Amino acid sequence: MQLVNSHTSASQSHSTDSTLKIRMIEISSLSKSYGRHKAVDKISFEVAPGDIVGFLGPNGAGKTTTLRMLTGFLPPTSGAARIAGKDIFRESLEVRKRIGYMPENVPLYTEMRVKEYLRFRGALRGLSGGRLRKRMGEVMETCGLSDVRRKMIKTLSKGYRQRVGLADALIHEPDLLILDEPTNGLDPNQIRAIRKLIQNLGEKHTILLSTHILSEVEMTCNKVVIIDGGKVKAADSPENLVRSMRRAGRVTIELQAPRAEVEPVISNFDEVTRVVSESLKDGWNRFNVFAAPNTDTRLKLGNLAAEKHWPLRSLSRRVGTLEEVFVELTRKD
Amino acid sequence: MRIFRILYFKELKTYFLTPFGWLILSFAALMQGLILSTTLKGFSDEAQSESLVFLNFNSPLFWFYFLFLFPVLTMRLFSEENRSGTLEGLLTAPVRTWQVVLSKYFAAYTAFAFLWIPAFVHFELFTILTDVPAPFSNGELYGAIMAIMLMGALFTAFGCLASALTSSQIIAGVVCVAILFVHFLLGSVTTIFGSQIAAAPLFDFVSSQMHLRDFTRGLVDSRPIIYYLSTSAFVIFLTYHLLDYRRWKP
Repeated sequence: MQLVNSHTSASQSHSTDSTLKIRMIEISSLSKSYGRHKAVDKISFEVAPGDIVGFLGPNGAGKTTTLRMLTGFLPPTSGAARIAGKDIFRESLEVRKRIGYMPENVPLYTEMRVKEYLRFRGALRGLSGGRLRKRMGEVMETCGLSDVRRKMIKTLSKGYRQRVGLADALIHEPDLLILDEPTNGLDPNQIRAIRKLIQNLGEKHTILLSTHILSEVEMTCNKVVIIDGGKVKAADSPENLVRSMRRAGRVTIELQAPRAEVEPVISNFDEVTRVVSESLKDGWNRFNVFAAPNTDTRLKLGNLAAEKHWPLRSLSRRVGTLEEVFVELTRKD
Repeated sequence: MRIFRILYFKELKTYFLTPFGWLILSFAALMQGLILSTTLKGFSDEAQSESLVFLNFNSPLFWFYFLFLFPVLTMRLFSEENRSGTLEGLLTAPVRTWQVVLSKYFAAYTAFAFLWIPAFVHFELFTILTDVPAPFSNGELYGAIMAIMLMGALFTAFGCLASALTSSQIIAGVVCVAILFVHFLLGSVTTIFGSQIAAAPLFDFVSSQMHLRDFTRGLVDSRPIIYYLSTSAFVIFLTYHLLDYRRWKP
């Protein structure tokens, strides 16, 4: 809960700062129900131009539904969203011109050849003549498709199909790229290649990508939106999320001092909520110090040990990972 | 219009740049040839009171293959896009739904029209290759072509509707055959029960068999023309809303 609160206050201050600046994506209480089931429940978040946003959530959290609403494939039940200032429902065609969308599992016309497919998709987006040819050459180059350009899509491997999907999303130089699980089902080498591609694309485009692979998000994204059960659980930069997670303030210290003597002293620190100690086999004692997130008690503890002349051999603060943040926010228990 | 043209030619390619389209064309040409030679044999056996065109298009064999052309031509159109998920890519491009529906419909209709080139050539060849005067008039031939094109417009629309209903090609094909069969039976009601029943004029009005009989005699009536064109438009309209179903479903 703490995370959500800190996020809302952060985003409010952000929006007052940048009311004049145009936002790439602006979602306000967007909902989608399938019958009685609420797939997406009043989500709101914003994406600034140039951001690479990781859109995370467990299976069935509403990621694909949200992306489908943004791309105009599904109409929202209520709420609104704007892309580059255009309403996704009323100005759907304008919005669709500005986005490059790669759907989940990358559906393609498998009986077409790569070049033929890209020509068709480029033409649909309004490219023609020399400009279409130039863009086709460029995206095939960018996505590494030059040597399979004449092949039928059905003969291509999954990795190549993914690249064709990406080339398709890129061909009209969209302002915003929406990628639904771009690395789903690829081998580690292919994932690495696609990730590199996304990083390069991030220099010129705004990217919203949904994925399960958290290490990937940590490496590529500068903003993370986590949703679960159709609601936004957190939206912030990965660093902030990791820093403010519940377990992030935890410090472990190993001292050679009586547990009964050390524990009350540490517990007296303001930010410390709880101390759990254990005796190690070699005569040392380990103290697990639970402290509030966003705090670092290491310096205090080090000084304390020096002051009291307690021999100290290890002092470490837990470095959280995005995976832990994700689990903490979306755990069902 | 540009988008429509791109989509239309893409669809047309799947008929003419794959063996699939040529297979249907050769099947249609085979059946047309078979029916024509059977009808001609009738002429050589005994004197006929009707023209060659009339007997040709009103032979029972005609309906036997004609109704099966439509599911084969149309079953793939929407169901395949639905199954493979390419519909999502298509409808998230800056393309309007009606452009998708009309381009697919007209591509299928164009392919259907192509199937009648052999039949037309057969009749033209008759006058060129034989020194007997043609046992039919041009009016009858053009009437026949018109009737076929009008029925084709409606039946292709039925095929599109069936294809938009489901993501399985097979089911789409079966549904299309079912719709066409019911339509055919409605047209046979007066033949079976006689024209004494109260609703006889209604059954006659929708009877494709009746229309074909009139047109192949050279009797071109405006009522069937309006009936086929307006019903086709309505069925395409339904197809459009079926394709957009995800937008308005609760």
